[in-house]
Amino acid sequence: MAGRSAIAKAVDKANEKSIPGAGKIRLEQTVPFGGGGDEAAVLAMDNGLRILMLVDRTAPVVAYSTWYRVGSRHEKPGKTGLAHLFEHLMFNETEHLKAGEFDRKLEEAGAETNAATWLDWTYYYEAVPKDRLGVVIQLEADRMAHLVLRDAQVASEKEVVANERRYRVDDDVEGLASEMLYRTAFERHNYGWPTIGWMEDILGFVPADCESFYETYYAPNNATIVIVGDVREADVLARIRAAYGVLPRAEIPEEDTHPEPPQHEERVVALRKPTATEKLVIGYHGPALGDPDHAPLTVLSEILFGGRASRAYRAMLIDKELATDLRGWVSTFRDPGLFEVYLTARPGKTKDDLLGVLDREIARLHDEAVSGDELERAKARLELGGLQALDTASGKAEQIGFYDTVLGDAAGAFRRLEAYRRVTAGDVRRVARRFLVTRARTIVHVLPDIGTKEGKAA
Amino acid sequence: MSAETIERELGAGAKLFVQTSHVLPIVAVVVALRTGAAHDPAGKEGLSRATARMLRRGCEGLDAIAVERSIDALGGEVGFEVAASSTAVSGQVLARNLEPFVDLVAKMIGKPTFAQDEVDRLLRETRAELLESLDNDRGLADRHFRRRLFAGHPYGRTSRGTSASLAAIDRDAIRGHHAANYVRGNVVVAMSGDVAAEEAERLARKLVDALPQRGTPTEGLAEPPVLGGRHLVFVDKPERTQTQILIGGLGTEAHDPDHIALTVANAIFGGTFTSRLTREVRGKRGWSYGASSRLGVDRRRHSFLMWTFPAASDAAPCAALEIDLLEKLVAGGVTEREVRFIQRYLTRSWAFEVDTAQKRVHHALDVELLGLPGDYYSGYLDHIGAVTPDTANAALSARIHPSDLVVTVVGTAATTLDAIRAAIPSLATEEVVPYDHEAKEN
Repeated sequence: MAGRSAIAKAVDKANEKSIPGAGKIRLEQTVPFGGGGDEAAVLAMDNGLRILMLVDRTAPVVAYSTWYRVGSRHEKPGKTGLAHLFEHLMFNETEHLKAGEFDRKLEEAGAETNAATWLDWTYYYEAVPKDRLGVVIQLEADRMAHLVLRDAQVASEKEVVANERRYRVDDDVEGLASEMLYRTAFERHNYGWPTIGWMEDILGFVPADCESFYETYYAPNNATIVIVGDVREADVLARIRAAYGVLPRAEIPEEDTHPEPPQHEERVVALRKPTATEKLVIGYHGPALGDPDHAPLTVLSEILFGGRASRAYRAMLIDKELATDLRGWVSTFRDPGLFEVYLTARPGKTKDDLLGVLDREIARLHDEAVSGDELERAKARLELGGLQALDTASGKAEQIGFYDTVLGDAAGAFRRLEAYRRVTAGDVRRVARRFLVTRARTIVHVLPDIGTKEGKAA
Repeated sequence: MSAETIERELGAGAKLFVQTSHVLPIVAVVVALRTGAAHDPAGKEGLSRATARMLRRGCEGLDAIAVERSIDALGGEVGFEVAASSTAVSGQVLARNLEPFVDLVAKMIGKPTFAQDEVDRLLRETRAELLESLDNDRGLADRHFRRRLFAGHPYGRTSRGTSASLAAIDRDAIRGHHAANYVRGNVVVAMSGDVAAEEAERLARKLVDALPQRGTPTEGLAEPPVLGGRHLVFVDKPERTQTQILIGGLGTEAHDPDHIALTVANAIFGGTFTSRLTREVRGKRGWSYGASSRLGVDRRRHSFLMWTFPAASDAAPCAALEIDLLEKLVAGGVTEREVRFIQRYLTRSWAFEVDTAQKRVHHALDVELLGLPGDYYSGYLDHIGAVTPDTANAALSARIHPSDLVVTVVGTAATTLDAIRAAIPSLATEEVVPYDHEAKEN
């Protein structure tokens, strides 16, 4: 726990040292993080680097993540997968480190490390014992500005990514169906292409593509650092200022994204794969994460698909024994995404069997208010899930970084919990009528077959 | 942070472990049994799992839907994990609802109704899931690797069951399994999170008191036999652009004097991103998105295995490279520099093995359920620090035998089998298994 005055003093101390060319850090605000008196500090550096810090002394570790405000939505047709390729390239060579040294230094520090790319963002994550944070700050600042992108690095990582694509998409029924869902549901918006990229694009990347992308998006004014853990504030801010303070801004281009036009007709696509039973992957056009209806739709999703007492689970898995698996969730994107539904049929059961029940349950949500008990159960499940996500320093850092990057709200996780509590049965019915509309849905129908690979179906 | 795990005897052999942490207002509860899938009767594989899954499908005064609604209303969740040597009913709940949650779990484990229609429904559901599991190539590789390596031993069985074994399970078998295994002497309870030790003990007694006062039914597991020679299992599945490859043999047992030394050697070989295996397969050649090795730990000697998933065109050279790297590891050993490096990694990263109450209490559970040495975790850092290149290399020589390997490949035989066969020297046996063999048998 660190109050505003303590952080302000730490900022002053971090700015004391004269570092040629380095800008200063300023405290923009502190925001309450949960109801226990914790506060997250929101800071900024002169070069545009955003810093979020939460002191958490529950374990002698620190989670350090760097969120770049670039994802697959910022790519161009023909160059899809470039944002994700960086998730790999960033672990390679820099002007100061030979290939492999980055990982080696982190492993020697006992770090947990990983990275993720999605439609709106890319983030890099480390967690280290608290006395090893200095190593991480040096390494992250180095690769923000000094990555080496030559033929050897790009060729090797392209091959690894191609294998990742085979693993996650080409040989994975659900992965392939999900890719087809987004391609079909988004005809205009960049959300329509896969974050991992089309295979031909992955194999076609050359160093010049990577250099251009790196110079454009990997810069302090396009990044947010999130620090959660057992830190001394002045010390960590001084280290950050020394490491990042001299890095130059980049000219971040204005986004050129087209909103997805309203969908006026149901779209159905068939896919044949060597799988035992039929599967349906369904997407209803849904709200952006920042839409006030996102929380009510999440509650609705919980009522329909959350747990074994949920309506769809009871109807499809228990009462009629039509399915072996079903899941539903609302995508959490900056722009309007999808309400996604995954259904796996029992042997001998068909698309029409599954859709019949799903449509009946959705019609009920349109017509009748959900009961108070159902609403409270859904909220209790969401409360538990929200708390579970905050179990570790890394979990807190991820929540802070995600909500700040997508919504500009470092404490967004708690505002979500508050929003769930306010949802009424009327809200649930309204969002059902707004979003769960047949004409605005896309269905990918997976058929068990070894014959034709794919094609349009009626 | 590193609060001691509190241990309490609950009578008749039952135990409680508690880790208190007020960081979040939630509590995790585990009711574990010292018996698991390895104790399923031959021909009734899947019985432990079926019994555990039935617990949520009705208990005294509550039918299946009422149980689920009760769990949800409390802000809780309940799951079941059936491992070879243990079974766990695991839950988590909002701390304000802990007591009614414990009351509910006590009723689920102590007074299940095992209604005939629910048993029938569960068995139908499990058969359908068996078919669905065929979509998971990694799971297929793992299943067939263990089936071949541990042939004739309970570790080679499947906890999920097969089509044939599920047909042999009925309500009486489930009731019998419950009566024999869900007894006080077979139970270990763990609670972690926002609960004080005294309160945890009071609540744990409710859980234990729900069970009959009988001792553990555990029969000792035999040591798995050594499978000499190299054996290929090719799981044939259509349209694979990629393969899943598992290569390995028997590994170590936690009481082996060289267990930790072998753990260190394995970490050097395939336990980190800069390890030999990852560097050669992924870093230098880009053949596989992942490349790693691991040592299984259970009550008896378990497996050592390497995992890669190269494109079909790279599968044969990748398998050959892995075997070559393993041979060089055992013949040439690890270096002083490698040992020092991995010791720093393992000791420093230990912070993430103990950074939550739930992880800490699970260490105590593991020691109890897997019969690990008492200081397996508490003395971990000292044990790691004591390993030398000589002890690591002696452990490799004693435990890892590149001439005795099971090579399991999930891929498309028509395009990949011949190359794989040619890439593995000195194959003793070879079997090609249709990927849907177990789901369709019977």
